[in-house]
Amino acid sequence: MPADTRPVPEMQYATLEQQGETAQFGIWVFLTQETIFFGALIFTYFLYRITYPHEFAAAAKDAVLWCGSLNFVILVTSSLTMVLSINAAAQDARPNRMVRWLIVTVVLGFLFLIVKGYEYYLDFQDRVVPVLDFVAKPGEGSAGELFWVFYWVATGLHAIHLTIGIGLVLYMLLWRIRRGEITPAYYAPLEVVGIYWSFVDTVWLFLYPCIYLVGRS
Amino acid sequence: MTMGPEVDARRASALPFVIAWIVILLTAGISAWTAFLGLGIWAPVIQFGIALFQTALLFVLFMRLKGAPSLKWVFAVSGFFWLMFLYGLSMTDYSNRQSWPPAQASTRSQLQVDQDHR
Repeated sequence: MPADTRPVPEMQYATLEQQGETAQFGIWVFLTQETIFFGALIFTYFLYRITYPHEFAAAAKDAVLWCGSLNFVILVTSSLTMVLSINAAAQDARPNRMVRWLIVTVVLGFLFLIVKGYEYYLDFQDRVVPVLDFVAKPGEGSAGELFWVFYWVATGLHAIHLTIGIGLVLYMLLWRIRRGEITPAYYAPLEVVGIYWSFVDTVWLFLYPCIYLVGRS
Repeated sequence: MTMGPEVDARRASALPFVIAWIVILLTAGISAWTAFLGLGIWAPVIQFGIALFQTALLFVLFMRLKGAPSLKWVFAVSGFFWLMFLYGLSMTDYSNRQSWPPAQASTRSQLQVDQDHR
């Protein structure tokens, strides 16, 4: 840890408060385009689902509900632990509690990816991988493959975003916190990562009913 | 604010976040339950309504929009605003396509399915 850890604003900012607000504003600008990015993807899904309701219902029955539900719980819980780590950063001069919550967050992030990986393994076994190995089940027709294209693209993009989030949390743990740069006086970088993390969580709130709750009745 | 010697009031207690977490999980359970009830078109309406509610909780509490400067609110809402433009303009196209009344398209597709299985 460097000898002088007093936070000083970057040269373009008058105060730390202004610097923190700018950082948070920046992540919201970024998330605006992310909203449109995932929103367009989900819109495409709805167009096809409205066009081929029976085929989508038949195809979605093969999605592994318990994996999607477990990952829902994992991701929402990781958002909570992320928020608790930011609370700890705001309250404690010593970083111990913040670090503990961040480690739990990273572990939950990896757990999500492990469950997702196992689900992909089951999908390969079930032969629902368009282009590589796809066998249409009765009632799906060729439109059922569209559902699975959406499934792989959407969950793949989400997993990439989550992996980036894990990288950002590790960066906080292994670099910024170790250097004493996250303190009750200035913890905006951790808040920015937390906002991004919760946004990735938000995407799953919509993918869950799109993928796992179709064709169950 | 994120800076200052005293603890930010919005960061002083974990209770609101824990309550929001419980509410999100409970509503997710309700959402999953509706999938098995045979509600037809109402099932996705309820499920995505719940997803919107959960998103609002995450945005306001977890992503700290509560009490945030209005400029952040503008950008947080503008993503959904532009998304509505995208959806609206796209639907004006689709709703005027002769080949896109969903029922007809689905029937044609189902015929294709039947032919596949003969």
